Amino acid sequence: MTVALHIGALALYVTAGGLLGASLVRGRSGLPRWGGAVLPVAVVLHGLGLGAYAVVHHELPLVGLAPSLSTLGFLIGAYLVIFAALGEVRAIGLVLAPLIALLVGAALIIGVRPTGEPLTFQGWWFALHVLLGFAGCAGLAVAFASGVLYLLQFRALKGKRFGRMFRFSPPLALLDRAGRFALAVGFPAWSLALVLAWAWTLRFDGGILLGNPQVRWGLVTWLVFVLALAARSGPAGRDRRGAWASVLGFMVVVAVYVILRVGAGEGRVFL
Amino acid sequence: MTLAVVGLSHHTAPVEVRERYVFGRKEASAILAALTAGGVAEEAVLLSTCNRAELYLRLGAGRGLDAAVELFAARAGYSRAEAEEHLYRHVGRRAVEHLFRVTSSLDSMVVGEAQIQGQVRTAYEAAQGGGGGERAVGPVLSRLFEMALHTGGRVRSETALGVGAASVPSVAVELAKKIFGSLRGRRAMVLGAGEMSELMLECLVAEGVESLVVANRTEARAREITARFGGRPVRYDEMLMALPEVDIVAAATAAPHVVLTREMVESVLPGGPRHPLCVLDIALPRDVDPAVGEMDNIFLYDVDDLQQIVEGNLERRRADIPRAEALIAEGVEAFWAWYVSRDVAPLIRELRERAERVRQAEVERVMRKLAHLGEADREAVEALTKQILNKVLHDPTVRLREAAADGNAVQVVEAARYLFRLREQPGGTVE
Repeated sequence: MTVALHIGALALYVTAGGLLGASLVRGRSGLPRWGGAVLPVAVVLHGLGLGAYAVVHHELPLVGLAPSLSTLGFLIGAYLVIFAALGEVRAIGLVLAPLIALLVGAALIIGVRPTGEPLTFQGWWFALHVLLGFAGCAGLAVAFASGVLYLLQFRALKGKRFGRMFRFSPPLALLDRAGRFALAVGFPAWSLALVLAWAWTLRFDGGILLGNPQVRWGLVTWLVFVLALAARSGPAGRDRRGAWASVLGFMVVVAVYVILRVGAGEGRVFL
Repeated sequence: MTLAVVGLSHHTAPVEVRERYVFGRKEASAILAALTAGGVAEEAVLLSTCNRAELYLRLGAGRGLDAAVELFAARAGYSRAEAEEHLYRHVGRRAVEHLFRVTSSLDSMVVGEAQIQGQVRTAYEAAQGGGGGERAVGPVLSRLFEMALHTGGRVRSETALGVGAASVPSVAVELAKKIFGSLRGRRAMVLGAGEMSELMLECLVAEGVESLVVANRTEARAREITARFGGRPVRYDEMLMALPEVDIVAAATAAPHVVLTREMVESVLPGGPRHPLCVLDIALPRDVDPAVGEMDNIFLYDVDDLQQIVEGNLERRRADIPRAEALIAEGVEAFWAWYVSRDVAPLIRELRERAERVRQAEVERVMRKLAHLGEADREAVEALTKQILNKVLHDPTVRLREAAADGNAVQVVEAARYLFRLREQPGGTVE
């Protein structure tokens, strides 16, 4: 059931991305009438898939690479549905739908099942820490997608290129607002996740080990959030600076994750 | 009964003729009342816009379209001969197709323009008795207009015909919206107080721009304009002071030289504006130094840029005309099938009733001679004759319905009436 629901959700994410891609190619900002329903249905199916995982395995899908990737994808999808409900920024799905499909696809290839590895960090501390962390990551992903479209639309407007991207992409102000909102939600969530982990280690593990790759990644990501938010203040051009900071910041976070995970070796559970 | 349209449009008449056919609500009601009460038409709708005036009619039996033309021409102050020069007439299915094309804006001066649907709806509602007039539409024109409006809606939503603006001021606003999203609550400054400035102001006010500044060489003219559109008049030399306060600058002066240079902008916005500033230069020669557009966070567009978008939008609209035509053909077909079947259905009913009367009379006559038959035998005779009747009438019934669906109802219906000695319907036949 878990796998079937994941496959259904994956198919719908791919469809949603395809529909938005077709809109871009045709130079239209909207979707076909039924197209707007594809993404919410995908997210609902995905949520049911994760629910089925929790029922079948008696644990939340927060431990192990595959369940974690799936949960992260689900949260990004939830952000996207909320943004689509709020207005024209549905277009950021052009970047996010393939990203979610990639996460769900990777989860399916790895196998959406528990790793069985024992964890010292458990209970509601852990659940809240991971959920908040994923919410923060999802926020950064949404800010990245908004930033990508913002920069492309900015280039089209400034360079007077009134082609497909100009017609497809939402107004700059909406994209900026979407990125700002995603960071405003993501940053406190990520900060709280770090505080929870820090409090737990202080109480149960004797203190934070800065050599731990998870800790390093967490701090780098937090710094990226701070820089992305800082870029959005100051003199002229702060919207565009903010978009650049979100795009580059997300890429740094992904790159650092990959490097640290590869370097962490087999013995350490890291996501 | 005959469906017909008589009228004129930008295709057939120049503006000085068209303006004589512009009818206000009261005048339109009077024309409709004269047509329907005078027995010229069973139903009528008058569509009057700046580009067209058309009378849609369901003509009564025995009255031609000429009477309607005469009345229409007289109201515009023309003799019939003079009016005929500019008027067109479409009858039957062509009249239906014409309304569908008009409502879908395929017949408009700017293909895809949005106003026509509202104008058709208003004309239809006026003919329904809205606004205190007499009701001039019945079941046929009601259905026709509702289906035409439905198809018009489909054309707008399912094709690119309604996509993108098609005039320089509206494209300018569209561009500003690509930067700011909604313009509600935004602040704008308009340079100049001529005709283009007025058009820009109209568009900006319609989009909900909150604060307007109008800068003009002559302050009196700026005051005049702000009295109409709202906002604050300023002199040219105060224009720069207002620049940091606004999100949009629309320049449309008649000045023979640049009125806004990069140095001037930098003097009040050193390093560029904090928020995006959209500068729309719709003047010829240009009012804004192109170097202003090189500044960070300033988006500058001139007439050529805007014209490029207009052309692109029109091109995309034109490319989707075949899809719109297909939707229109579908809508016309659906209406026509309903319309023609209205005339065939009573004929079939009448034919069957007449045959049933003959059957009953013959069975009664025979039964009087066969009085010795028992109840079961009588029932068998009844059933047998009914069965024969049904079998005989089956093919004519099917053929009549098929003829109606194929649009060949007229000849077939008339032939059926002649062959079966059926009386003429009060409404006449379909054309």
